[in-house]
Amino acid sequence: MTDPRDIVSGVGMLSEGTHFVGEPPAGIRRVPTGVDGLSTEHLVINMGPQHPSTHGVLRLLIEVDGEEVVAVEVTLGYLHRGIEKLAEHRRYDQLGTLMDRGDYVSGMHGEQAVALAVERLMEIEIPRKAAWIRTMVAELTRIASHLVWFGTFGLDTGAMGQFLYAMRDREAAVEILEAISGARMMFNYIRPGGVVDDLPAGIDQKILAFCDGFETYLDEHHALLGGNEIFQGRVRGIGVIDRDTALAFALTGPNLRASGLGFDLRRDRPYDAYPELEFDIPVGTTGDSWDRYMVRMEEMRQANRMVRQCIEGMPDGDFKAKVPRVLRPPEGEIYAATESSRGETGVHIVSDGSDTPYRFHYRSGSLHAMQALEEILPGHLLADVVMIVGSTDVMLGEVDR
Amino acid sequence: MNPVLVVLLRILAALGLMLANGVVLIYMLRKVLGHMHLRLGPMHVGPHGILQTTMDVLKLLTKEDITPRGVDRALYFIAPAAVFVPSFAAYAAIPFSDSWSITSLDTGLLFTLAALSLVPIGILMAGWASANKWSLLGGMRAAAQQIAYEVPLLLSLLPVVMFAGTLNLGDIVRAQSGLWFGFVPRWFIAFPLFWPAFLLFVIASLVELNQTPFDMSEAESELVAGFASEYSAMKFGLIFLSEFSNQFIVSALGVTLFFGGWMIPWVPESVVAPIAPVVFMLKVYTGIFVMMWIRGTFPRVRIDQLMQLGWKWLIPASLALILVTGVVLKVAQATQGVTG
Amino acid sequence: MRPDPTAISSLLSSAGVDAEVEGTTLGTVFRVALVDALAALIVLREGGHDFRMLADMLGTDTGDGIEITYHLRSFSRDEEVYVKTSLAYDGELPSVWTAFPSALMPEREIAELLGLTLAGHPNPRRLFTTDGIDPLLRKRVPIRTLEEVRDR
Repeated sequence: MTDPRDIVSGVGMLSEGTHFVGEPPAGIRRVPTGVDGLSTEHLVINMGPQHPSTHGVLRLLIEVDGEEVVAVEVTLGYLHRGIEKLAEHRRYDQLGTLMDRGDYVSGMHGEQAVALAVERLMEIEIPRKAAWIRTMVAELTRIASHLVWFGTFGLDTGAMGQFLYAMRDREAAVEILEAISGARMMFNYIRPGGVVDDLPAGIDQKILAFCDGFETYLDEHHALLGGNEIFQGRVRGIGVIDRDTALAFALTGPNLRASGLGFDLRRDRPYDAYPELEFDIPVGTTGDSWDRYMVRMEEMRQANRMVRQCIEGMPDGDFKAKVPRVLRPPEGEIYAATESSRGETGVHIVSDGSDTPYRFHYRSGSLHAMQALEEILPGHLLADVVMIVGSTDVMLGEVDR
Repeated sequence: MNPVLVVLLRILAALGLMLANGVVLIYMLRKVLGHMHLRLGPMHVGPHGILQTTMDVLKLLTKEDITPRGVDRALYFIAPAAVFVPSFAAYAAIPFSDSWSITSLDTGLLFTLAALSLVPIGILMAGWASANKWSLLGGMRAAAQQIAYEVPLLLSLLPVVMFAGTLNLGDIVRAQSGLWFGFVPRWFIAFPLFWPAFLLFVIASLVELNQTPFDMSEAESELVAGFASEYSAMKFGLIFLSEFSNQFIVSALGVTLFFGGWMIPWVPESVVAPIAPVVFMLKVYTGIFVMMWIRGTFPRVRIDQLMQLGWKWLIPASLALILVTGVVLKVAQATQGVTG
Repeated sequence: MRPDPTAISSLLSSAGVDAEVEGTTLGTVFRVALVDALAALIVLREGGHDFRMLADMLGTDTGDGIEITYHLRSFSRDEEVYVKTSLAYDGELPSVWTAFPSALMPEREIAELLGLTLAGHPNPRRLFTTDGIDPLLRKRVPIRTLEEVRDR
């Protein structure tokens, strides 16, 4: 087994003399500088927090030798709202609103994680229909979220067309979610015990129409961006995260599956209606940006398939279990996780028996992807930095929390 | 008329054309990209937003001209002019019709290419003088790609020169008049030998223009705005204008060298003569439309891929092409006793 | 999902780590002393159970100290365990990045938000907030100061 210390090199620290960082720690390997006699003085450039392709407010301090990246230091916290502290002052049914604002592009998955955690702690059995609705909206959110990733990933390469086409399809998905939950991004729809409201009448026709259209649109999207030789040249073999690195940095979700480890919480830690649905889990081979691209594209197809199954097999019954108005879970601790668009969105709740959590922890896939970035970016060109950051699909709302 | 006055009027006409072109092309870019991207582009100023770019020019003229602290002042001020002047000079030899051109140069093709190749010096100056690391990277990229692609651009046009036997752009157009076998226009693009030359020309000229997919020096997703990051108001306007003007020049070169300039095939010259400049402009705008189409669709290549393509493929390919053209030309002369 | 606790505790004790097994709503939890935490994680990683991923880290202000929870996951055996350890408020948290590099940032977060210092961490600076901000997740730190509430 490889020693993790062989995987880690710079630990996100720039060379001495180029930045205010103090002594480099003992035992840290560095990219050697000036070995070939051709390298010149290194330059430290600030990518972000206001930069077109840092996907929010990420700040990367990049030490470059010409255009080649030598070391990267990630500076976080520009979006830190203290969700974990705020949650200690919210009732259990209000936690979903906080999770919406964590990963604000795929809010349903966060809400689902909270709901699952509270239900498991209180041992609430939710009606079958509630589980199916939850699964359906979660998969629709996955499509909407992956489309945002797809569009912006193309923007990182300089292509613009696919962004607006992706937004067209996302708009359709978001409109369905709006019809169901009343909101476009901050849904607050999934609550402990079920969902807020039943599906509106006639929505199933709309969703089926969306599913039909999206199947062809997805092929078009892929042909426009992924079928482009230039794009393939930009992503193939770039930003390789092999299995060991992915495990060492605890990557989850599409980033982990692209590295060849087919772990999916929907299949391996089944929740809600997933055990009853048929879906495939795409797995990559090399873990480069192209694999991450392909895994996400295939996930959209599978999500579309699941939405269709959910609509066609939607059971009758209640959409919400009988739960007390004020939720007071028994004393205890619980961890529940959902497979979000960006990896494992986990919620760790420590309950002291009152109506607010004693300690609330939000585990996000993006924070761990962020650590891996510090490791894999050195050695690439500056132009690849935006590609790799784009391919890991980090969401800063989820990183800073 | 006073010959000095004539020269001045011609220069003024070129300047007017360049400015008007900039305004029209920016509007066209917005509309073309807009409709390709499922949106409308500007819609509010004037019907379908046709006055939008005029207003933008007014805005650029009246905006505060910010000079950041720490810039190399002299270079910072010269750079926009150094970008603008060569691209203006490049208009000199473009033949808009049989009689309409600012001047008829016997080395017209060389002059135009030489003028265009001066633009990156201004870009490099702008990148260096801005005292901004992103600008510097942009300027360096521009210099690198300029050096790599100047050679294939010129070499890809040599086959045309060999066939036409002249560097005068007007004469090159005249060499394309008439029909082959009575129905194929004698445009160089109709001759399969020139297809690879045209392909090389398109690639190399897109690189020269810093156009997508080769817009390295201002790659907005990597370098924010590259060499132009620190420029504001009309200094930025000049850089922007020269970019669109260069598009026009390169498209005009392509039309002149491969698509028969101002001529329409199957129509007698005497009929075309009065509308020749319009025909020429339409052809040029079609070329620019294709560039915008590429811009609306393609992602950007990486700088090392660009360099590899230039040095390892395009330069050897264009050299081989010249060899093949020479052989074909000699064989044709020997067998038919006539030249292309 | 839930591993066999006896097998793992014998594995731990053979490596000289005293672990107390708790079966809670959370899952299988091993409580170890702070000095043994790193050793326990290494045993879990390299013993037969193959816990290759440190999925999550959590710090809790229990009222009489800070409790750290390590959440480990094994893919080859499809198991999850939690390792808990606790330390005093002014304690020093030994970094486990040599066994699990994924602890690098969560440890910084925990140290900053719970007011701990890190030992053996290569980059022990704050992660999210600026210098001078109170350790937010301590129970003694109010969500809004009385003055701020009064001024509203």
